Amino acid sequence: MARMKFLCDAERCIECNGCVTACKQEHEVPWGVNRRRVVTLNDGVAGAEKSLSVACMHCSDAPCMSVCPVDCFYTTTEGVVLHDKDQCIGCGYCFYACPFGAPQFPQDGAFGMRGKMDKCTFCAGGPEADNSPEEFRKYGRNRLAEGKLPACAEMCATKALLGGDADEVANIFRDRVMNRDGKGASVFGWATAYGKQDKAAPAAQSAPKPGAKP
Amino acid sequence: MMRSHPTQWLLSVFVTVLLCCGVSHAQSDGARQQIQRQQTQPGNNAPVWREVRGGDNPYQTTQVRGPESAVLIQSGGETWRQTRRVFTYYGGWVLTIVPLLIALFYWRKGAIRLKGKPTGRSVQRFSSWQRMVHWTVAITFCLLALSGLIMLFGKYIMMPVFGRTLFSWIAVLCKNLHNFVGPVFAFALMLMILTFIRDNLPKAHDIKWLAKLGGMLSGEHVPSGRFNAGEKVWFWIGVLLLGVVVSITGFILDFPNFAQVRATMQLASVVHAVAAMAFIALFLGHVYMGTIGTEGAYRAMRTGAVDETWAKEHHEYWFDEVSRAQPAPARGAQGDFGAAAIKQG
Ligand code: SF4
Ligand code: SF4
Repeated sequence: MARMKFLCDAERCIECNGCVTACKQEHEVPWGVNRRRVVTLNDGVAGAEKSLSVACMHCSDAPCMSVCPVDCFYTTTEGVVLHDKDQCIGCGYCFYACPFGAPQFPQDGAFGMRGKMDKCTFCAGGPEADNSPEEFRKYGRNRLAEGKLPACAEMCATKALLGGDADEVANIFRDRVMNRDGKGASVFGWATAYGKQDKAAPAAQSAPKPGAKP
Repeated sequence: MMRSHPTQWLLSVFVTVLLCCGVSHAQSDGARQQIQRQQTQPGNNAPVWREVRGGDNPYQTTQVRGPESAVLIQSGGETWRQTRRVFTYYGGWVLTIVPLLIALFYWRKGAIRLKGKPTGRSVQRFSSWQRMVHWTVAITFCLLALSGLIMLFGKYIMMPVFGRTLFSWIAVLCKNLHNFVGPVFAFALMLMILTFIRDNLPKAHDIKWLAKLGGMLSGEHVPSGRFNAGEKVWFWIGVLLLGVVVSITGFILDFPNFAQVRATMQLASVVHAVAAMAFIALFLGHVYMGTIGTEGAYRAMRTGAVDETWAKEHHEYWFDEVSRAQPAPARGAQGDFGAAAIKQG
């Protein structure tokens, strides 16, 4: 069985929010709930700006699952973390525990009380029958059951966001890194690991003299 | 040399910190390092990756509106998860052992019985207002304790028995009960603290009482005021300290619409649960002493009146005060009310 993964390539993401829009559109996610968001680091700082799209990362040892007081999470055979909204009590614990801020809560009733938790399903729906109206109403479309990949990743214009079988995703990303600017090996190779400067810094080309301070 | 005034010193530290924040925010260290790293190792984004756990940097942005939506990764969640595991485990043991200890005490020592014969004359101990606040707090406390315990331990104890669906219904009920009864409890608690604080102020004779544990083990008579030192400990540590702590942390958790961040709610949740379990443990002791542990104590809070013998044996200084202020015959009407109530009770 495939193990599903998301990966966002910080070198490619252009913060167009296409994935966010695709997700909202595909699942008819209500106002105030964002299953996916794009965060830009060092926004506007030339040379340091990077964007990343983030949603539920479908953790192997999922913190949300471990703290849920009604144990409503489950992992599918494809490694997707889903939950049962019928059981959810809206306590917000999964939101406290999740590293990525994935669980979302529609405001329900007085005092900003939390409704049933909503989060990214990797477009895999919920416990209801695949593609039933019930499932769509609660969790959105079940694209995996239709043989499709998550809408966000499929919609991504730059293919920064990859979603699918972990091996495939890893292969694509490895290819990219190895071929990127012809410097793939220099990024995660010997030079980075052992601190020697590489071709990119020609000034430091000559071998260090014995005894010289690094 | 003249030393600067502490407030001046504080002010200068404050200003320095502010200035530093301003400077570092103009361009974060991470951004600067990233720019440098691009010169030496193009494509190496390590400085940016180090920043994904930040979020207070104003140059970290997102289109999604909401508290902390610009934070990519929060590390506090894992700490919270691990802490929860610890207090669930130890709290569970404490709440198992305390009732056992109380049962053991009851079995070995039995209830504290009246030594003298009841006189039939009663003294008013609690006014109807005092009983009303007490029982409002007591009933809401029980609802909160029960629903809270179910939400914390139900997954391990009740779910295997009731199954997921039924347990989740119970848990939904508990959550809503907890959220709505909580503010009522907090409000009633404040009234109760104001009502009882005067008679709970520590007195010199409380030390003697505590040293002898009120004669609970020896059976010796130790005089006390309207409340004995044991009740005062319960008042100051239980009702006041733990009560206020659970109320404040409870409000933080109950109203998530004030843009409080996760770190605040995680801390509040830990403090809330630990304080609540300590509160429940003390509460069990209080309930024991106020019901089966002491003959005649429950009647006092139920009807408001106690027999003179009870008053003398349990709260001698208070009884002296009351009888000095209002000698027995003058208490006639009150006494009748009390006596009637006692007969009913
Ligand atoms: S909700 Fe958060 S903790 Fe749970 S699987 Fe998704 S990313 Fe992991
Ligand atoms: S909000 Fe729902 S899913 Fe999240 S921990 Fe609470 S009961 Fe579980």
